[in-house]
Amino acid sequence: MSAATPGARCGFLAGARAIAGRELAAYLDSRIAYVYTIAFVLLANLVFMNGFFLTGTVDMTAFFELMPWLLPVFLPAVAMRLWAEERRTRTIELLLTMPIRPLQAVLGKYAAALALFLLSLAGTLPIPVMLVFLGDPDVGLIASGYLGVLLCGAMFLALGMFVSALASDQIVAFVVAALVSSLFVLTGWDAFVAVADGRWPWLALGTRIYEWFSLMPHFEACVRGVIGLSSLVYLGGLSLLFLWANALALERKRA
Amino acid sequence: MIRVENVTKRFGNVVAVDSVSFAIGAGEIVGFLGKNGAGKSTLLKMLCTWLPPTRGTITVAGRDAVREPLAVRSAVGYLPEHNALYEGMKVDRFLRFAGRLRGLDGARYAARRDWVVEHCGLEAVFSRWIHECSKGYRQRIGLAAALLHDPPVLILDEPTHGLDALQVAAFRDFIRGLRSGRAILFSSHVLAEVTSISQRLLIINDGVLLADAPVADLRAQAAARGRDLDEAVLDLVRTAGGRP
Repeated sequence: MSAATPGARCGFLAGARAIAGRELAAYLDSRIAYVYTIAFVLLANLVFMNGFFLTGTVDMTAFFELMPWLLPVFLPAVAMRLWAEERRTRTIELLLTMPIRPLQAVLGKYAAALALFLLSLAGTLPIPVMLVFLGDPDVGLIASGYLGVLLCGAMFLALGMFVSALASDQIVAFVVAALVSSLFVLTGWDAFVAVADGRWPWLALGTRIYEWFSLMPHFEACVRGVIGLSSLVYLGGLSLLFLWANALALERKRA
Repeated sequence: MIRVENVTKRFGNVVAVDSVSFAIGAGEIVGFLGKNGAGKSTLLKMLCTWLPPTRGTITVAGRDAVREPLAVRSAVGYLPEHNALYEGMKVDRFLRFAGRLRGLDGARYAARRDWVVEHCGLEAVFSRWIHECSKGYRQRIGLAAALLHDPPVLILDEPTHGLDALQVAAFRDFIRGLRSGRAILFSSHVLAEVTSISQRLLIINDGVLLADAPVADLRAQAAARGRDLDEAVLDLVRTAGGRP
């Protein structure tokens, strides 16, 4: 048999789709995906139900207020293996010597992680369905709240994946990603803002961090049904930034 | 097919490959010999664009490895030293995945898959999980993935590592059969293995290329000095100041 001319390359999206398919199958073959999904769905539903039966109001504000505290713990657990596992098993060399761009690999893995997150989020849909049956909730408000959760989750996943590309192992990736993700949330906590402002009142440090760095004003706007351009730019832009940095980190790590 | 010109690779202060130059044409099977840590794998990783050279140029199938890495990767079939595979995949799914990343689909993929499955002897494990396969089969799976796109350049890093004697013999025959129109470079630290397949030998030690010559010439030179090839290679390494 004689060799052919240099082989063809897959298209950008086809390559990313192939990697997403492999990654999603790897998630579904591993126990962590099931543990993660069940734990997330149970916790989210339980906390909501508890509040719902106490207050008796037909809205999901309590559920959405819980999300920024849950996601920084759950999503780094999804993202931690994405690159750290490839490095541990040395399959990263196999993958990145295929004729694909690092960004294709990044987007493929990201799409798989996002799909798992969406699957988990779908497990909370019985809540709005139940509310619709029980009363007359503001469906638009619920939809914008879900969009906020989705955008925040997408940002935390991109961050977690970037950290996974830099970290030496999965545990380190999880801890660092969880800490950094929590910072985005904690800086929007009233107590943090009050303490930081009180310490240097002339600087209004807490308020500045809240306005410029924290994810919370953008998320809270979504929960209130206000999806502004600044929130989309902030959440979408940070996700894109972390994905781009991830691809760059893969290139740099080769050298 | 492969042209390496004054290539150097440094990791911090460590020089892993030092000003190495050679060229390999189509139809050649070249053995790359050197002890562990001599710089073989580093050089092979640069050829398949996994590592960039610190200095020098690498051209594979007419494409520059630094400027056109995707074109080079398309032209290369690479079997890495540790042959890491996705353990959680079945063999058929793994080959399909590799095929899709190589732009193979439909009838073209099916034809190439059938070819590699037949020639790499994967029929018995085709539907099995990779983690259930023996070391020998895993090497064959890695080789099948490297050959799936019918590459004009084949780079094999310690391909017979972990294979038994029968598997090594079968592997040699198989590689010889792939020679036509293809440049094949494979590394080993075992001289007998290299000389049994290749007509030409590259010997590297401490990152420096000590010899680039046909096996027959090296053998003749050794015989003229009353030495066998093994001893001549050891002499070469000692003369260069290296530890054999």
